Amino acid sequence: MEFFLQQVMTGLSIGSILLLVALGLALIYGSMGVINMAHGEFLMLGAYSTWALNTFFGLGLLSSLVFVFLLVGAFGWAVERGVIRFLYRRPLDTILATWGIGIILQQVVRLSAGGELRYVEMPEVLTATVSILGVTVPGYRVFVFVVVAALFALTWALMFKTDFGRRLRAVVQDRDTATCFGVDADRVYSLTFAYGAGLAGLAGALVAPLKSVSPEMGTAYVVDAFFVVVLGGVQSLFGTVVSAGLLGQLTGSLAWVTNDTVAKALVLVAIVVIIRFRPQGLFVAKVRS
Amino acid sequence: MTKRETSRHISRHLREGRLQIAAYAAICLAVFLVPVLVDNDFLLNRYARYLVLGMVAMSLALAWGYAGILNLGHALSFGIGSYCMAMTLKLRTVPTHTGSDGLPDFMVWNNVETLPWLWVPFHSTTFAIAAGLLAPALVAAVLGWFMFRGRVTGVFVAIITLASLVVANLLVIDMQAYTGGFNGITDLAQLSLFGITFDAYSKSTYYLVATCLTLSLFACLAVTRSKAGLILQAIRDDERRVRFFGYDVASYKVMAMAVSAAVAGLAGMLYTVVMEFASPTFLGVPLSLSIVIWCAVGGRQSLAGAMLGAIVIAAMQGALSESEAFLETWTLVMGVVFVAVVLFLPQGLAGLVEIVRARLAAARARPAEPIAPVAAPGTGERS
Amino acid sequence: MTLKRRTFLQGAAAASVAAATGFPHIWSKNAGLARAQGGEIKVGVLFSLTGTTGIIEESLNKATLLAIEEINEAGGINGMRIVPIVEDPASDPATFAEKARKLVVGDRCVSVFGSYTSASRKAVLPVFERRDNLYWYPTLYEGRECSKNVIYTGAVPNQQQDEFIPWLFENFGPRFYLIGSNYIYPKEENNYCRKLLAELGGEVVDEEYVPLGHSEFSSVINKIRSTQPNVIFSTVVGDSVVAFHRQYRAAGLDPETMPMASLTTSENEVAAMGGDAAAGHFTSAPYFMVHDSPENQRFVEAYQRRWGGDKVTHFVSEPSYFQVYLFKQAVEKLAASDIDPPTIREAVRGEELMAPQGRIRIDPDNLHAWLWPKIAVARSDGQFEVLRSSSDWLRPDPYAAYPGQVCTVNGLVEG
Repeated sequence: MEFFLQQVMTGLSIGSILLLVALGLALIYGSMGVINMAHGEFLMLGAYSTWALNTFFGLGLLSSLVFVFLLVGAFGWAVERGVIRFLYRRPLDTILATWGIGIILQQVVRLSAGGELRYVEMPEVLTATVSILGVTVPGYRVFVFVVVAALFALTWALMFKTDFGRRLRAVVQDRDTATCFGVDADRVYSLTFAYGAGLAGLAGALVAPLKSVSPEMGTAYVVDAFFVVVLGGVQSLFGTVVSAGLLGQLTGSLAWVTNDTVAKALVLVAIVVIIRFRPQGLFVAKVRS
Repeated sequence: MTKRETSRHISRHLREGRLQIAAYAAICLAVFLVPVLVDNDFLLNRYARYLVLGMVAMSLALAWGYAGILNLGHALSFGIGSYCMAMTLKLRTVPTHTGSDGLPDFMVWNNVETLPWLWVPFHSTTFAIAAGLLAPALVAAVLGWFMFRGRVTGVFVAIITLASLVVANLLVIDMQAYTGGFNGITDLAQLSLFGITFDAYSKSTYYLVATCLTLSLFACLAVTRSKAGLILQAIRDDERRVRFFGYDVASYKVMAMAVSAAVAGLAGMLYTVVMEFASPTFLGVPLSLSIVIWCAVGGRQSLAGAMLGAIVIAAMQGALSESEAFLETWTLVMGVVFVAVVLFLPQGLAGLVEIVRARLAAARARPAEPIAPVAAPGTGERS
Repeated sequence: MTLKRRTFLQGAAAASVAAATGFPHIWSKNAGLARAQGGEIKVGVLFSLTGTTGIIEESLNKATLLAIEEINEAGGINGMRIVPIVEDPASDPATFAEKARKLVVGDRCVSVFGSYTSASRKAVLPVFERRDNLYWYPTLYEGRECSKNVIYTGAVPNQQQDEFIPWLFENFGPRFYLIGSNYIYPKEENNYCRKLLAELGGEVVDEEYVPLGHSEFSSVINKIRSTQPNVIFSTVVGDSVVAFHRQYRAAGLDPETMPMASLTTSENEVAAMGGDAAAGHFTSAPYFMVHDSPENQRFVEAYQRRWGGDKVTHFVSEPSYFQVYLFKQAVEKLAASDIDPPTIREAVRGEELMAPQGRIRIDPDNLHAWLWPKIAVARSDGQFEVLRSSSDWLRPDPYAAYPGQVCTVNGLVEG
């Protein structure tokens, strides 16, 4: 039993980080159809912002979170205004443009933040471990899990309980009609993109204490996050949660039975098979196209 | 359409066909003339490398630009080809670092006692070359059959091909005893065919690459100009309509993917000859995405455009990273170029030509033909 | 229709664009054929400045350039200046091969200093072997290579493990958990570790490999928790080192009772994970930044003056630095007219040098370096504390795990 719980906890840890990274991507891809290859670099910017706030202003991780969200969000807004908005009719071209933006960001950060690996200190209160049902779990992992749950609730509420969310859903369903009804589609899109980028920034800030901070750190996350989003069903936030949880548990238990390499390969094979037989993803939101 | 209009249409069609062939022939001729102008081992080797990259980009254009299959795992075909060639060349090397004879050095390092059965037929170079063409085609056909029978389209094709590539890459790195793992297969003999030895730095290797490039360019051109090619383009533009006409859409797509993979496999084999090793990065995600980028920059709906896109980008990367001024900022410049191309040249370099052509036509003050907007494959692919 | 109409012009224009951007060399003459001439000695510097290993390789690039600058300022080699040609192979083996060709075949450098990963060394090796050029490789590596075209100045397994494993065995116990990144270097190190442990009567509780660049260690930590080894013997490399240490600490494991013993964690990685995550873990290497010697003090001061006071030196950047001085000593012995790679190789055989880590020597047979292994523990200030230094320099034996195989002047000999 304890062994089983330990596995579940491991799966939850992995899954919560997957969801953290995938949430912003799911929003941007699901609502705007933009395949944002620079998502990993937004995450990297978040990690570096946290590092910079810590080094130059002495802010700890927890107090930086709001600033990081705003900084990266503002940056995302600028990218949307400067580049992405010209590409809504050409979704596949967004791959190329955002890939270019990603490369630019990596090199800019490398040249400005210097060529060393950086790190972000874990908040002292979260370094302890906690015992849940007799299983030792790192306190920081629990914290990440809670924050991810909160972010998801926030995003869901934003989408379904606010005026902005209604406008966004209207634009996603039928941009022209929504515009006729007085919705400023441009503004809705740029704010959504900014929000998604801000989420990526938060993800970067939160993974920084667990992993290394380098200009290339984002590339490792973006591919995995895409698998999560597509598997979950493109316009379904709940689908994203389920698929992140599923992939987390699957990776955790397969890695226990075999090793991390084989686990990764098997999870990918599972993704391929699921997409083949359920190309719409695990969950579908009904949308007029 | 009146009879006169129809005949004018047909004659224009024929004229354009001849023009296209003439243009492709001119490009190939230019490729063959390079060694006359360049007498430098190193540069010939480097240009041969660029040509190989051009070839693999061209093969993707066949699948993506003509059949609408965005294969993000195209490097898989390229990598299989390169490993087939590396395996046969490895078996011809005398191991110098391990001291045992017969077995490739990395197998000895991994305590393999006898040659694995999969390696045995690679004692024959002929078999290796056939495998380098057929294995990628077979893998692509199986994958294509798996996807297209289930009517998987658009971004899901991209995800499935990408995931397959990552799996293959993990396996190649993991099965060190049989593949050389992360280091790849290194320390290779030189390829010998028909009594010619292909030294990586020789004109003979350059001409080998140029010949293969020419042959595959015209083979792909023939495919696109055949009836099957027209059907593929129709599938790209509206898959359902073609299905309603009674065509077996899946089979056509599988065929396109297999042909494209075979050409990529050939390019992969040549890459091993030119680079003198095979590495899991040859079937890595970064290379695979780069191929897509080259295609997009060159113009995905033009075989020659995609090929030149790869050559231009690879050459720019080389030149920029070697210039002192850009040593630190070359990746930045490349990023800016990609963004600029997407924003201002949606049809890639090939589209640039169209713009220039339209300007010229307008300047000649003839009644300018409206430039038909070419729908980007993928528009409307969102589900 | 529109598709075919434009192809001719397309081709022509695209071709001219290609010619203008990509082939500027066509019209320029070949570079000079002589290898060292006009009072200049051209050498290549081939460390990635971008890509996944860019961050660590940049420090190697810096150490190499520092040594070259110092030598030039002090009057060069017999009055000749060293001219470094720096290339960025972007952490990609294929680009490594291409740039190595440029340096060796195109620029005709007499030697190239470069590489961090084994994969990149393997990728460039054919170029150096076919052209009989010289590659100076500063990184610790798995051994089992015997090339007359590479000067190996980093440690091989016997130099890092011969004293380390018995020491760990005595101080912590017999049960070892072996964890590494999934490629040849960790596998070879673990082969050797198993051999030593078998001699001592130790036990390997598990041997596990994670993909390169892996950053999620939850499962590995679970397994460690359930097997409870005495020592975690780690050959995880790159970013993964950082992730592994940070997650180890977050999981509440204690270095006092279950320390990591690493061959790959240097000041560079410690700076990247923060001293707290590194503190209490052990590393065995020939060089640590805190090493107390006048040569090292000079090196560290010069390095920080040149590249910034917050920079660290480590066990790969130190060989990157001293191997340039080895190169200088070898070339000094030669007449200006016969400076070429084979004569430099013959001149460097048996050459000795006072390096920051101590007096080192290039083995005349296998071209590896005699080094001074040390065992150190990481402190929370980001530096190491040397616990034990080897009493004598240690002979490099690239085939230590394989009795009967010896690397000699004439290549590998079995017997």
